[in-house]
Amino acid sequence: MADVKVKKECDPADAALIENRIKELCQQFPQGITDQVIQNDMPHLEATQRAMVINKLLSLGQLDLLRNSSGLLYRMKDAQAASKMKGSDNQEKLVYQIIEDAGNKGIWTRDMRFKSNLPLTEVNKILKNLESKKLIKAVKSVAASKKKVYMLYNVQPDRSVTGGAWYSDQDFESEFVEVLNQQCFKFLQSKAEVARDSKQSPMIQRNSSFATSHEVWKYISELGISKVDLSMEDIETILNTLIYDGKVEMTIIAAKEGTVGSVDGQMKLFRGVNPVIQPTGLVKTPCGLCPVFDECHEGGEISPSRCIYMTEWLNF
Amino acid sequence: MTAHEARLCGLLLREHFGEVVEKIGTHLLRSGAQNLRTIVNESGTPIDLVKKSLCVLMKHGACIFSVGRKGPGSPVEYQASCERILGILRYPRYIYTAKTLYNDTGELIVEELLQRGHMTMSSIVKMVADRLTHNMEEGRSIEYKEVVSTFSKLVETHFLQRCPPVSEAVPAVSTAPTIPGAAAAPASTAPPTAESFPDCYTVPDVSLVGRGKRRRSGEDAVMDQGTTKKAKMDGQTHGDEGIYWQVNFERFHLHFRDQTIISAVASKLDQTSSEIVRTMLRMSEVTTTPSASCTQALSANEIFRSLPANYSISRPILDQYLSLLVDDPMEFVGKTGDSGGGMYVVNLHRALTNLARATLESVVQERFGSRSARIFRLLLRKRHLEQKQVEDFAMIPAKEAKDMLYTLLSENLVLLQEIPKTPDHAPSRTFYLYTVNQLSTARMLLQHCYKTVANLIDRRLFQTKESKRLLEKSQRIEAIMASLQASGAEPEQLTEVEEMISAPEKQQLESLRHHINKLDSAENQVDETIFLLKSYVNSTAKTTR
Repeated sequence: MADVKVKKECDPADAALIENRIKELCQQFPQGITDQVIQNDMPHLEATQRAMVINKLLSLGQLDLLRNSSGLLYRMKDAQAASKMKGSDNQEKLVYQIIEDAGNKGIWTRDMRFKSNLPLTEVNKILKNLESKKLIKAVKSVAASKKKVYMLYNVQPDRSVTGGAWYSDQDFESEFVEVLNQQCFKFLQSKAEVARDSKQSPMIQRNSSFATSHEVWKYISELGISKVDLSMEDIETILNTLIYDGKVEMTIIAAKEGTVGSVDGQMKLFRGVNPVIQPTGLVKTPCGLCPVFDECHEGGEISPSRCIYMTEWLNF
Repeated sequence: MTAHEARLCGLLLREHFGEVVEKIGTHLLRSGAQNLRTIVNESGTPIDLVKKSLCVLMKHGACIFSVGRKGPGSPVEYQASCERILGILRYPRYIYTAKTLYNDTGELIVEELLQRGHMTMSSIVKMVADRLTHNMEEGRSIEYKEVVSTFSKLVETHFLQRCPPVSEAVPAVSTAPTIPGAAAAPASTAPPTAESFPDCYTVPDVSLVGRGKRRRSGEDAVMDQGTTKKAKMDGQTHGDEGIYWQVNFERFHLHFRDQTIISAVASKLDQTSSEIVRTMLRMSEVTTTPSASCTQALSANEIFRSLPANYSISRPILDQYLSLLVDDPMEFVGKTGDSGGGMYVVNLHRALTNLARATLESVVQERFGSRSARIFRLLLRKRHLEQKQVEDFAMIPAKEAKDMLYTLLSENLVLLQEIPKTPDHAPSRTFYLYTVNQLSTARMLLQHCYKTVANLIDRRLFQTKESKRLLEKSQRIEAIMASLQASGAEPEQLTEVEEMISAPEKQQLESLRHHINKLDSAENQVDETIFLLKSYVNSTAKTTR
């Protein structure tokens, strides 16, 4: 926020008039106005005068100064927000502003310090203050457990901060994921089995072994294993892990718009499949799994003739 | 050739041909082509032993000789072939395949040929007939004719082939132990393959009449003199002198490859699909070249006609199965056109690639657990991923995912690619992408396999050495038992001899036998992995060339 160094004598009544006009303009264009707009509206106005009035509005907190691609932009401030900030000093307002800009991703104290140019102690004090007023809240990020980010009190944190349904208290619930993974697979597998037992033509057999992600989602929600509400995307991420496990295949088909479970006219179909090969011959020997394979040499400290793994395996 | 391969070759040579051949063989493997004088000097072995070992190696195709590199007149050079020596590992599988395809007769023919390298048809037939008769009940014997027909079948299906003839101008007569029909023609620089001779699969007219002779157990002692006498007796010609036969390894390998694909289809889809693929492979067996990346295109009509009669599949069902096979992500079967009810091919190279990938996945799965396997598969699918992406896609907590990735990285199963944003490679401004290179990983695992087999052989030798005394004792007692039985001893006498081995010793022998069997079967299992990975590496080399 620029400071005006030069102060000129100015008619106070005139100033109030200009002030009101600018406010009106701002209300007309809720997305903000540029300097150019004001100039066009009041061509008689001198630049210094204009600057003074705007500075006054800014310092009162009635106007917001934003920057976009075309230059500076003025916007009317929320009456609500302005009322909330009553009784706060400039620094507090500034910090609030920065946190508000960060949105639902939140912002870290360090970044706040750089943006506001305030000393750390000052920032901390302000944050404490704002927190006690229930204007902002601190949320622990899952990315780094020690890192706290701040966001406005009424904002729902982003998934990247909380980690979505798979996190509780910043801990990844791997057990929960495993259980879901197994349940999804069980569902698909039983479906494939039913299809195989139906003794119909191979094409029908294959097609009936497919399940849409919506079906899987419904099955999982009805099972009631999850305390949190899982979305269909959540189930799809689980199904994807099954694909990476090599247990499930996916195909995408075109679906009629409005069909249950279709997204953008597409439907994802999943089905359980059999493994292609049995465990390969190499891993059936102790050497295939040996942790000291590379250190093993005939005549060395670790050697095939004295190998304890081999002895255990042979006596098994 | 790598150190692991060389070690395994050495062990195999020692097991089958003894220590002298091992010495010469490994020496040749290490030093490449050499002439006789150099081999004698460098290996420090008497010249006659070197000659004999070279003779043995050449008889088994493990060594070839050619005119020296210094031009005509220079001494003949010898070169060992690592590939063929490693093939010794697969002998049990060749023999087993011959047995499943052509019964005991086929088994014995292939076994004799593998043991002796190469032979004339008449001598094989005689030997096999004798052995078969020996195992039959008293008073029965097998006709030569039957063995001849099995032999012809083996030749027809290209499992056996003629050794390429050696041209007359052999400059090596004085220095080399020339064997008639050795698997190389010395005149040309590149050894010709057996396939390049027009009549390599024609069976000569052989006049063989008679039956297999029974060898009496009492005759064993006089066998040595007997054979020479028999040789004189059988001295009449059969019309196939100078035509030697050898096992066509290439053909066996193609058969193994087809079997692998068929069984993979059976386990992925179902029995009927595998039967269709089997039919397709059989139809194109003769028309497809060994190195082709896919079979000749076959129309659905042709496939339908060639399906085995007892498999009652109607035409529309066959079409459904074929389209299912084409849709399958393993891409065993591909569609190339719509004529004739649809043209289909078996994607040999793709199938091998996918099977090799499944093998790699299975190694990771068994060794590092299913979650690491998930990461490994993820990387195979998505090619390049950052650590964070791996965690998110695989749904594995950051700490564990990091641990697994680093373990896989340290085992060289995954690679790390750095992409710096600035030229200074500062870690904060660099992308670290994990990736898997399937070909190089397969090569590495292949080396692991070689080392594993060598380890298993080492262990087996060690186990046998440990209980050498016990084994000798049991052999002695068995011999005594046999001779007593032959001379018609009383049952008390027999039990007395039998009791010379105490109960704990018996138990020890039993467990030793169990151990050796386990090690043997493990060797064969690992060889299956070797075969699959090797085929994949070879076929990739062919297609990218």
